[in-house]
Amino acid sequence: MNRIPRILSVCLLLGSAGLYGCAGHQNSEQALQSANADFQKVKGDTNVLRSAPRDVIRAGELLARAERLSSYVGSSDDVSHYAYLSSRYSAIATEHSQLLLNQEKLARLELERQRLQLALREAKLSGAQQQGKWAEDQVISLSTQQGERGLVMTLGDMLFDTGRAELKSSANRTVLKVVQFLQFNPKRVVRIEGYTDSTGDSQENLQLSRDRAQAVADVLSDLGIEDERIQVEGYGNQFPIDANTSEHGRAQNRRVEIVFSDDKGKLSAAR
Amino acid sequence: MSVFLKVRFLFVALATASLFGCANDPAPIEQLKLTEQAVAQATAVGATDDEPDMAAAQAKLAQAQANMADQSYKQARMQAEQAELDARLAEARVLTEKSEEQLTQVNTRLDRLRKQLGAAQ
Repeated sequence: MNRIPRILSVCLLLGSAGLYGCAGHQNSEQALQSANADFQKVKGDTNVLRSAPRDVIRAGELLARAERLSSYVGSSDDVSHYAYLSSRYSAIATEHSQLLLNQEKLARLELERQRLQLALREAKLSGAQQQGKWAEDQVISLSTQQGERGLVMTLGDMLFDTGRAELKSSANRTVLKVVQFLQFNPKRVVRIEGYTDSTGDSQENLQLSRDRAQAVADVLSDLGIEDERIQVEGYGNQFPIDANTSEHGRAQNRRVEIVFSDDKGKLSAAR
Repeated sequence: MSVFLKVRFLFVALATASLFGCANDPAPIEQLKLTEQAVAQATAVGATDDEPDMAAAQAKLAQAQANMADQSYKQARMQAEQAELDARLAEARVLTEKSEEQLTQVNTRLDRLRKQLGAAQ
């Protein structure tokens, strides 16, 4: 066998091994640098220091370990490993800090929401009182029946403008009654069902009935009833309670019904 | 002593040293438990494989378990340590995302309330 190719191949082998070692070293050097940059960033952020001090300390310890190891030969895997762990702790610290900031913000907004709810309730109450006897007549069609579907309250057609989904202010009194009832009966939940007459496109009617039911649900939610207690359904022109042939019948069919659960929170099945 | 024998001696010494290194690394049983807990906790708050960190955590945990079976304890420990932090980062990311969604929701409600109050007054 010729010696030259053998020597050549040994040289090649050694050379590639050296290259590989070099590449490993470069990688670990890079990992160390980026871990260091990550750590400097969290160390300089007072918010992160305040909310996640332990994670920042761990990041620092692991970085120091990686730096110590980097002075030894053949430790590039370990250096990369500890640099990686350090970077992860820096990232975790950043996330924890962001979470805490969000939670603090949420608590502030929640207080603001309670304040506005109270103000809105007072505004609606004083509005309802001013309307006085007249308002009582306005909602006379508001009727409550106890049937197989449970307790059902019907909000009549005059509480909405034609084709619109926003509740008129004449609905204040009714809505306040419902809110009060739900606050006294914290286990009860409601399903709000919208209905229209058969005039017009049935897809549009379906949408309008849903929007009107949602509008009632929004007001209840704005006045402090938890969203989890409110379901919303739109039935369009299905389930009329009167003939759609007369103006009176159609007015009867345009309605929003509030179905109350029993006092254990069990609702009758949706239609 | 011939050169050949010298080289053989060196190999034996190296092999013993590497064996010794292996024996020095105890099985990272506690670390694997910790990692499994971290992955379970991240899953519990809703982290899925769609989250790159979570996918990494699960892949590394599987690798660590395979290394345990091969008795490559050092590899197992390193994979498990990385997987633990990957899972914890994924968990933290999910929680932050959720709190951001909550913020958007509360802000929508506040806007609606302000509008309603404007209309009521």
